[in-house]
Amino acid sequence: MANIKRIKVGTASCGLAAGSGAVLEAVKRNAGNIPVVEVGCIGHCYAEPIVEVECEDGSSIFYSRVAGTDDAARKIIALSDEGRFSIPEKRASLEKNIVTRLAGRINPVDLAEYRANGGFEALKRAFSMKPEDVVEEVKKGGLRGRGGGGFPTGMKWSFLAAKKVPEKVLICNADEGDPGAFMDRSMMESVPYQVLEGMLIGAYATGATKIFIYCRAEYPLAIKHLTLAIEEMKKAGLDQLAGREKPLEITIKEGAGAFVCGEETAMINSLEGHRGTPRFRPPFPTDSGWNGLPTAINNVETFANIPPLIAMGGEAFASVGTEKSKGTKIFALAGDVKNPGLTEVPMGITLAEIVYDIGGAEKGSVKAVQTGGPSGGCIPAEHFDVKIDYDSLKELGAIMGSGGLIVIGKNRCMVETARYFLSFTHRESCGKCTFCRVGTTRMYETLERIVAGNGTEEDIAFLEDLGPKIRKGSLCGLGQTAPNPVLSTLRFFRNEYEAHVKDHVCDAMECRALVDVKLNTDKCIHCGLCIRTCPVSAIGPDFKVDNAKCTRCNSCIEVCPKKAISRVRKGEGFNSSISK
Amino acid sequence: MPEIQFILDGKEVTAQPGETILQAAEKVGIHIPTLCFNQKISRTTSCFVCVVKDVKTGKFLPSCSACPSNGQVIESSSPEVREMRRTALGLLLSEHTGDCEAPCTMACPAHASVEEYVRAGRKGNFLEALKIIKKRIPLPMSVGRVCPRFCEKDCRRNIDGKPVAINEVKRIAADLYYDEYMEELPPLNGKKVAIVGAGPAGFSAAYYLREQGIQSVLYEQMPEPGGMLRYGIPEFRLPKDILRRELAHFQKMDVEIRCNQKLGRDFTLECLKAEYDAVLLAVGSWSSSSMRIEGEDLAQQGIAWLGDIAGKNWKNCANPGRTVVVGGGNTAMDCARTALRLGGDVTVCYRRTRAEMPAEANEIQEAMDEGVKFEFLTAPLSLKKAEDGSLRLACQRMELGAADASGRRTPVPVPGSDFEIAADTVIAAIGQRTVVPEGVPAAKRGIEVDPADLKCAGDAPVFAAGDCVSGPATVVEALAAGRKAALSIGDYLAGRKHEEPFVFNVSRGHWRSLAKEDLVYLRKISEEERVKPEFISMEKRRTTFEELFPSIPADKVSKEAERCIECSCTAKGDCFLKKHATEYKVQPDMFTG
Repeated sequence: MANIKRIKVGTASCGLAAGSGAVLEAVKRNAGNIPVVEVGCIGHCYAEPIVEVECEDGSSIFYSRVAGTDDAARKIIALSDEGRFSIPEKRASLEKNIVTRLAGRINPVDLAEYRANGGFEALKRAFSMKPEDVVEEVKKGGLRGRGGGGFPTGMKWSFLAAKKVPEKVLICNADEGDPGAFMDRSMMESVPYQVLEGMLIGAYATGATKIFIYCRAEYPLAIKHLTLAIEEMKKAGLDQLAGREKPLEITIKEGAGAFVCGEETAMINSLEGHRGTPRFRPPFPTDSGWNGLPTAINNVETFANIPPLIAMGGEAFASVGTEKSKGTKIFALAGDVKNPGLTEVPMGITLAEIVYDIGGAEKGSVKAVQTGGPSGGCIPAEHFDVKIDYDSLKELGAIMGSGGLIVIGKNRCMVETARYFLSFTHRESCGKCTFCRVGTTRMYETLERIVAGNGTEEDIAFLEDLGPKIRKGSLCGLGQTAPNPVLSTLRFFRNEYEAHVKDHVCDAMECRALVDVKLNTDKCIHCGLCIRTCPVSAIGPDFKVDNAKCTRCNSCIEVCPKKAISRVRKGEGFNSSISK
Repeated sequence: MPEIQFILDGKEVTAQPGETILQAAEKVGIHIPTLCFNQKISRTTSCFVCVVKDVKTGKFLPSCSACPSNGQVIESSSPEVREMRRTALGLLLSEHTGDCEAPCTMACPAHASVEEYVRAGRKGNFLEALKIIKKRIPLPMSVGRVCPRFCEKDCRRNIDGKPVAINEVKRIAADLYYDEYMEELPPLNGKKVAIVGAGPAGFSAAYYLREQGIQSVLYEQMPEPGGMLRYGIPEFRLPKDILRRELAHFQKMDVEIRCNQKLGRDFTLECLKAEYDAVLLAVGSWSSSSMRIEGEDLAQQGIAWLGDIAGKNWKNCANPGRTVVVGGGNTAMDCARTALRLGGDVTVCYRRTRAEMPAEANEIQEAMDEGVKFEFLTAPLSLKKAEDGSLRLACQRMELGAADASGRRTPVPVPGSDFEIAADTVIAAIGQRTVVPEGVPAAKRGIEVDPADLKCAGDAPVFAAGDCVSGPATVVEALAAGRKAALSIGDYLAGRKHEEPFVFNVSRGHWRSLAKEDLVYLRKISEEERVKPEFISMEKRRTTFEELFPSIPADKVSKEAERCIECSCTAKGDCFLKKHATEYKVQPDMFTG
């Protein structure tokens, strides 16, 4: 048996949410002299809490879904066979861990460990080059903005580098706001030094003298790790860029959680202490940004891409990916999928590979995926053979976005899905532009009406008319993309909208107003679990579900051991009140 | 820095560096609407009403913030751009609450600025009130007496049961200043219009034609002018001397009135067409509807009977004796109360119940107070003469069945409920119809016109307005129709296309949909009771044709006007949202969500 070198417990947000706090305590209690360290996320969030046992011989044993008990900890330390976890081969063959190489494998806040694993080598290489050559290298790498826009990073940097002024600003956009997206959080929690190294290289290349990290306050762990890392870096003198008189100013600014502040001009307003609302461009931030200074804004993942890009060289970096989209992309898999979590894959991989091979979704169980969060669109399963890059997704009416990938199962209603996203965007609209502020609200109300069974065919026409106008009449990306979930579901799933408004039917049985709950007496074994579970006493001793009382909470359906209870179309259940 | 050349709506435009598209457009006379742009504060780029289209990129730009670039092609008034602006305005309005105009103003068929003249009355400035009233109501003495008060029915103070007595403001303002006030009139422009029928619609048309410098000649078949005012409405509601005073004013306005001139008898439409620049038919609705019963000939026809009495001195009229009036409208009430005053013992037969009566509620009450008896749910079957020479009206009882298309419940006969009423006089007052003059197209209710400009079909400049188009209606509606005809004729004579003004109004809703707590306005709700008129004695009401009550004195009316809570928007005069919405023809309910 190999000797244990150390034990690593994943305590990124995903691990903590799964209970890794207790696991850490238990392992520490039982580890004796074996060092126990906290690490970030390896992407397999579905398997958390994950414990990695590093052996002296360099091998590692992973345990998944570890319980926070002494018993479980002791078994791990004894290198039990129970609960071992290995990455499925198929998945491993598809993934390409360039940016996430160290995520979850090292102590996030240990500078020495980062350095021991090649950290700050890229910075060293950058310092050996002229700043303009660093920009060229990034251009050569073909890196495009990972925040969603896909603007070539090298080009953006060259704009800023061209400004011959004493003060320039570089902002790291860490305001990750799309529901279902958590790539940036994970990178900041797991490899904060790598993100910071990217920024240092950026500042060196562009001549920026000031760095802001605009991070949403809902990411306390990310902020904690970044703060610690910055302190360590300063102690080590790493904030002193080559050829500069003064060290770089690095400030973390916590955002209050407004989605719109992820938009660059709104973020600048917020950083200046104003309300987070977008500004009209031009002037573009690289001409006049924070306090009028030339400013460039890059996303966390973009910065995290920089050290590997510089380390391996632009050409090598560009050898991965498609013609116009180079490198890898980290996707956050969520929704109706077996293995939610993060996955870093080369550009050009197909959606089918991500959803079925990596996500583990059963073929035939998936209706569509939503990419790009509330700004994106849905892609139906029949288009899953598309090779993912910035341009192919756009052609399908969706966007790459920041990497959120929500899998929508067959049991989901697409109208309800669109309503959900609109509920987010209409709330998050900053209120500046009429089309976005009022238009999304009117669209949302219309969708509410449709899922409540009160929609009309005019409502569909209304959505199709207003949607494109909101796109055209809004200042920033929020409004320009807000109608996308509606328009793209209308494009691919129009039949579902029509069924709602014409026949008042939700075939996915998701819209509460359009379904009844029915107990199939042939399957029922009269165990009474449903009766005891129902919170509103809607099931009588005769085992009939009274639909006038039932709130469609699904408790009985979930608890029934014989699957005798199901949702049925409105009107098919007992005591249904069809109100048309 | 060099100037910037770009194309705006097909025109080459030069802009200074730093100038926005909006500013550059303004300099060449292209007005782009905006709500949020204000030069004195920083750019907000918020309302998006100022959008223009960059043709080359296909993008829509907020012109208040976008600066033009060399060679840019901008559209600022294409249908697509206008549609975007309409949408922006519609969206803004979907979140906008309040009242542009007060409900009273909106309710007035003539759209008189009610709140404004009530305010003038409150200040005791009744001359000012009259000036405001006459902008829309040229016969305020009559309307101040006979109007069914659409404004008061929609007054928000109905919530606490005390609508403002608006019409009393009109009445006293006219009483005080009508004779004295003389409008400033433009010189006559030589155009001349013949108006057939000197009733409210005809006079209103003459008035507003004259305001445009157009002279008119009124042709009246009766010996005196006034139409329904003179021959339909009895004296106790509208005294003859008051009406004479009111109509005398028109002589000062170069309006010529030719009485005893009947179309088809004394002149023809063809003559008028030849002699005048335009002809307006405002002949009213004078033919009584038939009861469709046997012996109908033995009955008096309501409107003709009233006209007959109005043509004489009432003191010389015979007592109609036992009188039965058939019908439930205002004409029926006028007949009943006239017959009562002539000494008759009067019964009104109506086939539905009091609740369904089309007559005004106060008129029904006043008739009852005066002693008119009512037989509800009673329909006539036949009329015949008894041996003693008196009449026998056979009737049957009815009951209310299902609602008809108008929402009123249809009366259904009760089998075996027949009975007879003995009478000396039976008056049929169940409605009036228009007799459409020869050579004029007819529609269901009267003369057929294009509703947009009130012009009769054909090339000739013949127009029609008032009861003869709409069927029997109110005086104020006839005045509104007459004004509309005058504006349409004015446009026609000037060679302009007549367009109905787009009426834009935001409303918080009818008072029935609001609660007392909603009445939060600049003015507090006072506890004062609504002013009540002082009726003449019941004895006089039963035996003479004296006016029901004298005008309420000015000081009391001013006090009454204090109770107005001023529902309208204080900024309605300079509201850009309203201005742009009107220009772009956007209704507040464009987007209801």
